[in-house]
Amino acid sequence: MDLFLGVDVGSVTTKFVLMDREKRILASCYLRTSGDPIAALKEGLRYIEHRMPQGGVIRGVGTTGSARHLAGVIVGADIVKNEITAHAVAAITRVPDVRTVFEIGGQDSKLIIIRNGVVEDFAMNTVCAAGTGSFLEHQAVRLNVPIEEFGKLALQARQSVRIAGRCTVFAESDMIHKQQLGFGKAEIVKGLCEALVRNFINNLASGREIEDPIVFQGGVAANQGMVQAFRDFFGGKKRIIVPPEHGVMGAWGAAILAMEYAPQKTAFQGFSVVERNFKSRSFICTDCPNACEIVVLKEDDRVKALWGSRCGKWTPETATVRCEEEDENLPSLSSYPGCSTERCAMHG
Amino acid sequence: MRATFPHLLHLDVALGILYPSLGIEIVPPPPITQKTIEIGVKLAPQNACFPLKVTLGNFIEAIEQGADTIFMVGGVGPCRFGYYGQIQRIILEDLGYRVRFVLLDHPRYGVWSFLSALRAMTGGRLFLPEIVRVARLSFAVLRFTEELETHRRALRCQVRDPQELDRVIDGTIEALRQVKTFGELEALKTDALEKLNALPRNGRKDFLKVGIVGEVYIAQETRVNFNVEKLLGDLGVYVHNSVSTVEYVLHTFRPLTRSREKLEAWELAKPYLRRFVGGEGIDSVGSAIRYAREGFDGVVHLYPFTCMPEIVAKGVLQAVSRDLDLPVLHLAIDEHSGEAGLVTRVEAFVDVLERRKQEKKRGLKRNGSLSRS
Repeated sequence: MDLFLGVDVGSVTTKFVLMDREKRILASCYLRTSGDPIAALKEGLRYIEHRMPQGGVIRGVGTTGSARHLAGVIVGADIVKNEITAHAVAAITRVPDVRTVFEIGGQDSKLIIIRNGVVEDFAMNTVCAAGTGSFLEHQAVRLNVPIEEFGKLALQARQSVRIAGRCTVFAESDMIHKQQLGFGKAEIVKGLCEALVRNFINNLASGREIEDPIVFQGGVAANQGMVQAFRDFFGGKKRIIVPPEHGVMGAWGAAILAMEYAPQKTAFQGFSVVERNFKSRSFICTDCPNACEIVVLKEDDRVKALWGSRCGKWTPETATVRCEEEDENLPSLSSYPGCSTERCAMHG
Repeated sequence: MRATFPHLLHLDVALGILYPSLGIEIVPPPPITQKTIEIGVKLAPQNACFPLKVTLGNFIEAIEQGADTIFMVGGVGPCRFGYYGQIQRIILEDLGYRVRFVLLDHPRYGVWSFLSALRAMTGGRLFLPEIVRVARLSFAVLRFTEELETHRRALRCQVRDPQELDRVIDGTIEALRQVKTFGELEALKTDALEKLNALPRNGRKDFLKVGIVGEVYIAQETRVNFNVEKLLGDLGVYVHNSVSTVEYVLHTFRPLTRSREKLEAWELAKPYLRRFVGGEGIDSVGSAIRYAREGFDGVVHLYPFTCMPEIVAKGVLQAVSRDLDLPVLHLAIDEHSGEAGLVTRVEAFVDVLERRKQEKKRGLKRNGSLSRS
């Protein structure tokens, strides 16, 4: 059986989808990246390996997300695609007559306009955290509500509180202010969801026609309070669909793209990747004041990939030499009188 | 006098030819790097636009190299650029730098101050026949550097080895610094064009075509705009940039000089924008319309964050985009711009153009078969 793997390594979560030729999802997982995309990739691969059907063979791999290039090198991708295209492809597959996609993830949010099954326009917010998953999560912790309960709590509110959502800092102080006035938690959570929806529309939709059906996806789509807030915003007049796969749409899109573009022979490195020893390290090139941070991905001692060189002078060979030089010049632990233990907080 | 000036792509090549003949020693600022940007951002007002910050960084780095005089041009119309020179002069004074600031404004703001600034910038030898010859030569060199960049943008998606393309063009630009006569310039031109023609091609013909419009500094200066044109070229896109320093100079000093290209763009923009909105606002609109007429697949609009003329243009471009069915990607650049977000947007934009092109082809085929049946 021909199978395709889609991997979406985002800032907060890492998603995997295993798909067959009919674009059916056979297995998927949703993990925390926890600042270590390599570990998350290995964990996801292990999960998928255990769910491989009998006789299944991976014929293509697609990666997406902010760590798409890193994931592409480690897993062995046939196609490395940006998140916007990947999300749009999955939404079109799920809801063929989709006209608008709302995607809210951990660190960014996107609005994609689709006409006749083709992306016509898109907007992406990467600078402002207001209206992203990270902010909601932060506020959930502050209010001492588990993030899974956050949305349900909003639905319990009988009325809402207007919260300034233009900026996360002001939203937070406004929320505290409303709390001190005596508003209940549920009302505040509902008000927050509404503020985030206003912010999303103001930031991304400016001047764009929002037509339904709208597909709402990304991690935040799991939040029922947010879904309700979007419905209320449009006065219940627009059809908003939250697909059951909303959390893994990017990975699914990557898998679909891998199927469309897969070459005869896939670049997939096999599940044995989890046994291999990958390490990323970086150094600052001091040859010009640009001070590029060169990131090197190494498998054991071999440089597999290299990023960050603006002028393009660094090659895997020269970077290896440079890393070795840096290692030699590293002061030994004994040269720091304060460091006696093996793991010192300051010097690793 | 050891004079310096702001960087703008290859302006330093042309000025390096002009100034020795005027008897003025010049200290070009070191190339724009992250450090230049950091200096400018630290010293400039936070809400000033990005080009002011980068050029201020240029000045400080040049002063550290021994420059004692700064040559800067003023601007015309409702754009903050008109005050750049003044603000930068005050910032440098406040920091305690003792430098002479020569600001060249349009003669309409005072013929006398224009002439006296011009006299200072040319060492008072403006009308000697030899000076006129060198001035014309350095302008021709500037024009040729822009021509080379036009080739680079067009050819990156067509040659087998883009690095070889960069070597030919960068090598020629280096060689241009030593040009003394028109004959030498012509020889370099012929040689460079031969080399470019000889580069092995990859045989691709059906590439996407994208035009760049926007503010004169950000749209051109690849060292601050994350080199969007190279990014597009590496994605297999044929790129053309409507922004040019040569045309900018010719247009700024109208009616003394005139730029045919800019006049055309202004004419094209008329149904949408008749009023001068400062900077290159009208040019952005007119050039986008020209690209649509020439069958380009899309337009990238580059401008500094908070740039008023280009924000006006952005609003008008939305109508142009709708009417002419021309996708436009707006990219506002400043010191907070993240490369990752920009790359994702550009990649997604190219995907949009690619899918649209395929759809159109399919649509044509379908229509074709319908008419036959």
